[in-house]
Amino acid sequence: MARDSTWSRWGTGLVLPLVLLLTWEAIGAMLQSPRTPVPTKIIAAAGVLIASGDLPLAILQSLGRVFGGLMVAVAIALPLGLAMGNSRAVERNVDPVVETFRPIAAIAILPLAILWLGTGTAAAVMIVAYAAFFPLIVNTVAGAKNVHPTLLQAAATMGLSRFTIIRTVVIPAALPSIFVGLRIALAVGWTAIVAAELAVGAKAGGGGSGGIGQMMFIFYAYSIELNRIIVCMIAVGLIALVLDRGLRALMRASMPWVKS
Amino acid sequence: MTATATMTAAASMNANAKLRLTDVTKRFQVRGAPDTVAVDNLTLDVRQGEFLVIVGPSGCGKTTVLNMLAGLDTPSSGTVAIDERVITAPGPDRGVMFQDYALYPWQTVWGNVEFGLRYGPAGNGLDDKARQERVRRTIDLVGLKGAERKYPNQLSGGMRQRTALARLMANEPDVLLMDEPLAALDAQTRIILQDELLRIWGQDRPAAERRTVVFITHAIDEAVFLADRIAVMTTHPGRLKAVIDVPLARPRGDATRALPEFQALTQHIWSLIRDEAYRATVA
Repeated sequence: MARDSTWSRWGTGLVLPLVLLLTWEAIGAMLQSPRTPVPTKIIAAAGVLIASGDLPLAILQSLGRVFGGLMVAVAIALPLGLAMGNSRAVERNVDPVVETFRPIAAIAILPLAILWLGTGTAAAVMIVAYAAFFPLIVNTVAGAKNVHPTLLQAAATMGLSRFTIIRTVVIPAALPSIFVGLRIALAVGWTAIVAAELAVGAKAGGGGSGGIGQMMFIFYAYSIELNRIIVCMIAVGLIALVLDRGLRALMRASMPWVKS
Repeated sequence: MTATATMTAAASMNANAKLRLTDVTKRFQVRGAPDTVAVDNLTLDVRQGEFLVIVGPSGCGKTTVLNMLAGLDTPSSGTVAIDERVITAPGPDRGVMFQDYALYPWQTVWGNVEFGLRYGPAGNGLDDKARQERVRRTIDLVGLKGAERKYPNQLSGGMRQRTALARLMANEPDVLLMDEPLAALDAQTRIILQDELLRIWGQDRPAAERRTVVFITHAIDEAVFLADRIAVMTTHPGRLKAVIDVPLARPRGDATRALPEFQALTQHIWSLIRDEAYRATVA
């Protein structure tokens, strides 16, 4: 019984997507244009790109840049955010600066990144770091400021020094909030890398070495292979999903006290 | 009534005082309104090894008094002192048990009890083994054996209360400051933990070996059951109305609650704050 209803629910949910895919395929077959991607060709293109190793290599390259940028952002945002959350003076000075830069999109600093760091990995990492910095710092400050006051008072009455209180109370109390910042940072970092690689790494020689964004740029600007561009888009989405799920699993594992 | 309070306070000045509040007034500033006087000109001594309970309706400033003793708050005028030294900041000589227990959710029961010993000065001079032993002993003392690895959100209210008590006791402070620690519990758990609290405090031991306790509650029967002396406070502004000796013999238990003296004292204290309590309910 249960299996039947599960099957029928899945079946019903698949009707519309299947109809859309078939319609898409039919229109594509009628148009016969190289500028019309079609589902069957996309699947074939995915097979080719994965088998040749180009797609996995590009993804690895981009992931490396995202993690590099994320590390830089964490290294700056975490200590700074904790300092802002624990000191009114620091917050009053730093907050206006942060809030002024926050609305400036990561892509808007692309020209600066290229001029300063060239068109390689360094510039891409800088863009990711810039994009990831803001969600991280905003959430770290919020987490550090929202520690329940009696938790801090209890530590003070046990005679702990201010620094020890930050280490043993503020950081663990802010951890759920920091993780939220990290999830958002990972998502915006991954978004930023694709955009950054469209421009950065243009001289890297094509193939997979320029990252997934560069790969898309080549398919767009040189070889005009729309099916392959769609493959890249799907890959970007799937990887973001996997990264987020992984981070959430890490979150649950590292915070066993949080009810999920 | 004011005369009674003054007399009792003056009399207690001669005793050897562990804690001393002298002419303490605490005002809170409220924007766009006259200052609120939370505590008005309060003078009170707490003797070494004494179980003093402050009882009064909500808003009588009893938590403010406790916070000033803890050093979490400072008086607007007057002084608060421990062993004749003026209190200006929190310190490990005065342990506090908070009304919400203030347990660290990311620490297990063991981690919470060990917290002050591990990160604070209470653990100075203790090696790992001695520290573990102290934690072990304290957890057994409050009856939490078997729950060491649980997190606070996996515990019942009574077990959280025991964990907070164990954390307080493990640090072995001179003075125990307790802010309505039993208020959040159901009536039966509450009675059991009143008995436990007296046992852990050491009511079986000679008075000289007991720790000084300042305990806050709004429950009069609880105050009578626990206290050596009861400081009755009234509200708006928070004033000391009377200090009452509780001559009931220790150790106390269920039999104590049935004594006519117990009932009489409870009635007497109720008569002191009844009018005001009614007024507060109607208002």
